Amino acid sequence: MAYFRAASIPFAVVIGLLFVPFIWDTFVAYQLGLYLLYGMVAQGIALCWGRTGFLPLGQALFFGIGAYVSGAALTQFGDNWLLLIPAFLVAVALPALLACGVGLLVFNRQVGSGPFFSLITLALSILGFQLANSWSTVTGGFNGMTGIPGLPGIDSYEHLYYVILAALLFGSLLLLYLQRAPFGQLLSAIAGNEDRLQFFGFHTGLLKAMAFGVSAGLAGLAGAIYAPHQGIVTPQAVGFLLSAEFVIWTAVGGRNSLMGPVMGAVLIGFLASGLRDTFQYWEVVVALVFIVVVLRFPGGLAQLAERIVPSRHRRTAIQARQRTHTIAGTKTQPETNLKFDHVGLKIGPVTILDNLALDITSKGIHCIIGPNGAGKTSTFNVLSGKLPITSGQISWAGQRLSGMRVDQVAQLGISRKLQVPSVFAALSIDQNIDIALWAGRLRRRDYFSMQPFAWQTELLGDLETRFDFLHNGHAPAGVLSLGQRQMLDFSMTYLGEASLILLDEPCAGLSSAETVEMIEAIAQINQLTGACAIIIEHDMQVVERLSDHVLVMHQGTLLASGTMANIRNNAAVQAVYGGGTK
Amino acid sequence: MNRRSFIKNALCTAVLSTGAAGLFTGTALGADPIKVGILIPQSGPGGLFGPSCQNAAQLAVDEINAQGGILGRPIAPIFADVGGPPSDATQAALKLWKGQKVEAFIGMHDSAVRGALTNLFKGQVPYIYTAVYEGNECSAGTYVIGETPPQQLKPVIPWIASKKGASKWYLIGNDYNWPRDTNVAAKDYITQSGGSVVGEEYLPFTADNFDSNLARIKSSGADAVLITLVGGASVGFNRAFASFGLSDSVVRLGTLIEENTLAGIGAENSKNLFSASGYFANIDTPDARKFAADYSSRYGADAAALNSLGESCYEGVLFLQALAQNAGSLAIADIEKASEGTRYSGPRGTATMQNRHVSTNIYLAQARGTDFEVVETFTNVDPGSTCN
Amino acid sequence: MELLVVNILNFVFATATLALVVLGLAIIFGMLGVMNMAHGEFVMLGAYGALVVQNAGLHFLFAIPFVLLLCIIVGWFIEWSIIRHLYRRPFDTLLATWGLAILLRKGIEAIFGRDYKSIDQTLPGTVQLMGVDYPAYRLVLIGLIALFFLSIFLWYRKSNTGARIKAMVTNPALASAVGIDTRHLARLTFIFGVCTAGLAGVALAPMVRIDPFMGLDYLLSSFFVLVVGGLGSLEGLLTGASVIAGTDVTVSALISKTGGYIAVLTLSILFLWLRPNGLFSSR
Repeated sequence: MAYFRAASIPFAVVIGLLFVPFIWDTFVAYQLGLYLLYGMVAQGIALCWGRTGFLPLGQALFFGIGAYVSGAALTQFGDNWLLLIPAFLVAVALPALLACGVGLLVFNRQVGSGPFFSLITLALSILGFQLANSWSTVTGGFNGMTGIPGLPGIDSYEHLYYVILAALLFGSLLLLYLQRAPFGQLLSAIAGNEDRLQFFGFHTGLLKAMAFGVSAGLAGLAGAIYAPHQGIVTPQAVGFLLSAEFVIWTAVGGRNSLMGPVMGAVLIGFLASGLRDTFQYWEVVVALVFIVVVLRFPGGLAQLAERIVPSRHRRTAIQARQRTHTIAGTKTQPETNLKFDHVGLKIGPVTILDNLALDITSKGIHCIIGPNGAGKTSTFNVLSGKLPITSGQISWAGQRLSGMRVDQVAQLGISRKLQVPSVFAALSIDQNIDIALWAGRLRRRDYFSMQPFAWQTELLGDLETRFDFLHNGHAPAGVLSLGQRQMLDFSMTYLGEASLILLDEPCAGLSSAETVEMIEAIAQINQLTGACAIIIEHDMQVVERLSDHVLVMHQGTLLASGTMANIRNNAAVQAVYGGGTK
Repeated sequence: MNRRSFIKNALCTAVLSTGAAGLFTGTALGADPIKVGILIPQSGPGGLFGPSCQNAAQLAVDEINAQGGILGRPIAPIFADVGGPPSDATQAALKLWKGQKVEAFIGMHDSAVRGALTNLFKGQVPYIYTAVYEGNECSAGTYVIGETPPQQLKPVIPWIASKKGASKWYLIGNDYNWPRDTNVAAKDYITQSGGSVVGEEYLPFTADNFDSNLARIKSSGADAVLITLVGGASVGFNRAFASFGLSDSVVRLGTLIEENTLAGIGAENSKNLFSASGYFANIDTPDARKFAADYSSRYGADAAALNSLGESCYEGVLFLQALAQNAGSLAIADIEKASEGTRYSGPRGTATMQNRHVSTNIYLAQARGTDFEVVETFTNVDPGSTCN
Repeated sequence: MELLVVNILNFVFATATLALVVLGLAIIFGMLGVMNMAHGEFVMLGAYGALVVQNAGLHFLFAIPFVLLLCIIVGWFIEWSIIRHLYRRPFDTLLATWGLAILLRKGIEAIFGRDYKSIDQTLPGTVQLMGVDYPAYRLVLIGLIALFFLSIFLWYRKSNTGARIKAMVTNPALASAVGIDTRHLARLTFIFGVCTAGLAGVALAPMVRIDPFMGLDYLLSSFFVLVVGGLGSLEGLLTGASVIAGTDVTVSALISKTGGYIAVLTLSILFLWLRPNGLFSSR
């Protein structure tokens, strides 16, 4: 299996490292041990930064908490493994939970991966340093928690190295597994397009918080071993400078790679240790290497290495999916009842939606038309939870939607396609389809199981026959033509088999042949799934062919609704539109 | 020689020769020099003291080697940077100890690094700690020659109280162990001298604005301030202190205001500023004058300025010589037995080891512009060591 | 009463100097999206510039043209060699400028050594104000900073540079399409930011410690101000500076300096979390 083939890399690295004490000596191994611990923290940063797209800047906080907890436990419990083991679990779990909590608080308020989260983590690490420094009774203050004994029965200089190797292997395999599982694929999707993922009903804030928690747990584990390795823990282990160094090592080693960050930590570690006593300006060398890497090689050393030695597992990844596990098709449909009750939306002084009231109670296809600025896309935005309404109420199947997050709305069976086709460009077509299939179906344990990759549905088979390019599953979605991307995006919107489908100009940018194909697809697929679809469309031909129920919006309100014929004859509509088709 | 050990040796040689090429600058007289690891900060906030410390230590080594070395063997000093966090310092010390088979260590660095090192050495190698610190280091194999709070304050506070009429003391320091421990000792001496403490405050390392503290000092009616801020914080505080005009009426006493810090404070801000230390660059004794002259003739006028921390590295080498000669060997067991009562003379005067610390002279100096002028010498002050 | 007056003056002074230090960072971050971790080092450059002028035996005021020239050269070079490659890569600029900060610190250390330097006070002594003695130089500085901000405010409103920068920020592609040389404008903006940092360094030099590590102090407090004040307006910047300075002064006066520091940190975290776009954000 691909996982085991990919796992050969960390295995090979760790087996190679086993020989270090014999080729050099135990001192080199001891020194290397510290850098490997740092490397583990850097691996966690890479999970957040390279994989998921947000940069934690205060990772030393978690490293330090792990180290203090483990140090205190070793000092208090001595060689009682029965007490030590739970303490080490705490040293890992406490940072992980703290990070998860911070992540949830921050990410639930702020969508995206801007610098604010990074600065919060940075400030937390500075705060941690200050507390560790002042809280002398617990931490020993500036002088540190000293005289920490080694792990019972394991000499810190001779044998702790092998414990570190075991931890490194464990961490690497865990990360590799998480990255290969649906969880990891969703993290990649977050880096590519977090908004789109939310419209599939994934709680991206939680996913990011979990990734952050995993990275913090890993940092805590490294810290827990650091305490017996060094015999002392000082506030520097929590502080801002070490946090910055972690990021430097990650960047130099390679933020997108599994073992690259370890390589970066080891390389810079030895470089600094070799230079610091002989060359006063050794930091200049490190800083220059760092700047050059940031400017010229964003993928770091791992990217360079890959350029020289093409990676093996990349080739294995391009096998098309074997979808062998057919899962249930259409789920039980709730009653079709969408209600906008005097919905208002104001942004600053501008009124976008003005007491909008509409009811949709029948399955089938409904079209919203209206001039630019009528509030059509905003209607979708408030409906899908993207924008908070300022007055009124929206409900679907009797459920009030106000105050819900985007993913919570999506979980109710509301699927939305954005105007600009937004697929996950860095992922393959197969991976895009995976994510769409998982929408609303992935249960908690499925996130960490490989089985969802084999999922197949009747609808997917139908779509694959309809859109031939979907067979070419291993191709990156980024290379598809605009038309193909629209079709992929459309397919993905339906694959979750939601009961309410929102399509925002599905035919935008399509050639006339493609438009015909798309119209046909919409009509038939919607018929097949029995969903209620609302389509925003400018092209009257499209509207006419797809639906007989049209809603006309103008200046944030519903101007008219009814059959196409009714609308044509409506004086108000004629006044706004100046008549005619496109 | 089997193949594995050949590879191992070849690689070791390669690593060590590239890594250590620049290290052996000392004069190797005989065939079997004593390798001494000298651990000084060359980076980080303490890095300021690296150059003067290295110069002073090298000077002592050269003088001792010129007279035949320690126990007939020349000293080969190996300097290493311990200015980073303790984990880096441990690595540096280990490289010297296990990698280069260093036989003794002399260290001038902060207490956190000392904690890591005593933990590392576990009394298996002689380790001389030279920096001013908070006291109570009693680890086996560790010998402290730096000033302790009792030494710097016990005789000095009564002197300030009687000569400068100080009775209301304000204690201000950075928020960590050394200032807090120093002030615990200080409070006793203040009470004994008939004074009282009117305020006590600790500042984070990042403090760069001292206005609120100055306002509080002023309103507390303090007539003396004991400063245990370090480095940059001390410079910033003292500059602001003088700019508010407080220096005219309030006496300042510092236990870590040396020549560099005074230069940063500036001539116009140093009125009524006192410093207590085991060494100042212009102590007027024959030994100190000779040391200062040798230093400047060896390193020139532009060399890193002399100060108590830098000079302590000179003392450290002298003390190592005295220890080894007293014990007749460098073996840790011999030294442990012989250390108590070891005497040596250096620029600071004569010092005697008692309970892993030394009783030594303490100088009280007043700032005149950016120079110190020793106003009182307290001889043979007890270190107040609690070790047995 | 006297204590209150001193604390109020301290608060005004802290706000003014903070605002001056932050201005450059706010311009570079707000206009160019570059999180400049080397900002404190530009302040340091200004202080060392003042030192060079003092060592040359010239009057303190000569430091202003000298530092401006220095900052223009350094700013230009850094923009050309590093920053221009990284617009729109916010994390990467953060990292690259962190490396740059290390380089600048080490460069200064190579030239001037690591020891503390001292700039003589040109306006020593204190002035009686509302019953308290307050340092004369500080009072003059408060006035000068107020004047400086007023002139920048007026200039920004009047000249169309402001409009062009706004255009560049909101839509760089369109801005270059209508003939605004965005690359040139970005470079000028960066240099301007560096120059204000340098001037802040000159202004602070007679009061603070001067050593190669001094920049770090200013970086952290500057970020706190930006976080509270948000980006994009001078009012926000001044408010941010006064909130941070006010919190620090108040908590430090009532509890302790460490308490003040922790309060500022906590406040910043809360702002980053709840109001990431500052006090004046619409959300």
